[in-house]
Amino acid sequence: MASGYIVNRGVLIFGIHYQHVCRNVLLTQTREKKRWMKAYTLLMERKLKIEGPPPPKPRSQKPNWDYHAEVQAFSSRLKESFSPELLKTAFVNPCYIQSEQERRQALSVDSETAALVLGDNIQLHTQGLEFTKSFLSDWCKASFPSLPSKGVVAIVGHLTSHPVVCHVARNLAIEDLTMSAQFPVPDEVLHSTFLAVIGALQESSGAERAGLFLRDFLVTQLVGKDLFEMWSVVNPMGLLVEELSKRNVALPEPRLTRSAGAGTVLPLYFVGLYSDKKLLAEAPGETVLAAEEEAARVALRKLYGYTENRRPCDFSAAEQLGLMPSNPSATHKGHVTPSTMSSIS
Amino acid sequence: MTSRGTPSRFLQSVLQNGVGRYVCQLKRISLIFSKNGQSSLGAREFIEEGVVDFAIKNPGTVVYVSPQSCRIPKIVAEYLNGNVKEEAITSKTSQQIAELITKLTNQSGLDIIRIRKPIHTDSPSIQGQWHPFTNRPPSIGPIGPQKQQANERLCETS
Repeated sequence: MASGYIVNRGVLIFGIHYQHVCRNVLLTQTREKKRWMKAYTLLMERKLKIEGPPPPKPRSQKPNWDYHAEVQAFSSRLKESFSPELLKTAFVNPCYIQSEQERRQALSVDSETAALVLGDNIQLHTQGLEFTKSFLSDWCKASFPSLPSKGVVAIVGHLTSHPVVCHVARNLAIEDLTMSAQFPVPDEVLHSTFLAVIGALQESSGAERAGLFLRDFLVTQLVGKDLFEMWSVVNPMGLLVEELSKRNVALPEPRLTRSAGAGTVLPLYFVGLYSDKKLLAEAPGETVLAAEEEAARVALRKLYGYTENRRPCDFSAAEQLGLMPSNPSATHKGHVTPSTMSSIS
Repeated sequence: MTSRGTPSRFLQSVLQNGVGRYVCQLKRISLIFSKNGQSSLGAREFIEEGVVDFAIKNPGTVVYVSPQSCRIPKIVAEYLNGNVKEEAITSKTSQQIAELITKLTNQSGLDIIRIRKPIHTDSPSIQGQWHPFTNRPPSIGPIGPQKQQANERLCETS
């Protein structure tokens, strides 16, 4: 690199160094302390403060991007074999096609010479959505047999909701591969892209593999979640009365079991629900009514087998699995047997 | 700095990785090196010998090799959770670079900061979390030490 250097009397006087890049191109540089640097840096910082940070750019517009390689890596990373055309179609959203066509029209490109030969992902999306909902409902009913249909619908609705699906999609690098009109990719677009990918997987590898994919990525989002976080029940006592009358068990009677600090700022009351003089559930609360409601919720969790200490779901390897998981919750025994249950869950 | 002054996080995994299938969290690795600089010698050797094997062993990671005129050769690793990690490989040997790349492959993309607890569980209690009312007979009234009547009866009979 130093071969094209020419010593000039400028070096001794002005501190300018000349460098021949080739015969006709001369590069000049000053290697001393640059007095303009501080003013320039401060000016750029002031500009940043006024205008704010630059808008985020999609990964495809940054250096080092090869779409085909990325799509291949996506399918091998998830250990699934997607058919490449279906997968690429799944990433193309209608808003992208529209914006591309508008761009071509704006550049007045002849629509025959540069036709946009991209398919939509709408059909794959509807397919994926149907399959996801049916698979998740089947899975819920199999692992929690005593959960009523409203509960199943609530859990499935939570798992297919925008926040959960977009969280999963972002952490699987689907946002990088999505082709959409806007960046950052809006939630609905990302949601439909994820479901289109499920649809593509179902068409390429079959319903079983797609089911395992959903189990490994969507159902695991249930870990650590409580039933009533996903299913908002306004009147748990009413629901409990319904459930018990369906099973022909005596209706629950609330009794104050323990209390402490009744006259203070932080009172504590434990209310136990007894059916036929046997304890169903006991729970604490700040007021007696709050404790009773909480006790009803605890009793419902025990009835539906969705307690925190239930046997964990089976996520073992694919070989031993059909679509239905093999281990339903062990705390459910069909008929409620209050005497064998621990009193405080 | 003390642990209060530096950032910290709890032990966690990205998207419950491992509960279902295991997904390698490294999605992209870019090797930026110079064709002629002496600090990129190790990088050039690694690209001659090791990078293709690495790419074959990790089909889920895209490997980009970009020769640029740069003073410091770098490895830029991008993870599934969006984190980007840059490591300088100035004057490292090919062996050291290979080890560094294996280390990056095995990491999840979470920040390398102090982990508050080396454990995490979603079901902390099986028999029920202890609270001061566990194993006490139910009573409404002022709370005091439990009367040890059973003990006295045992003493009498013996």
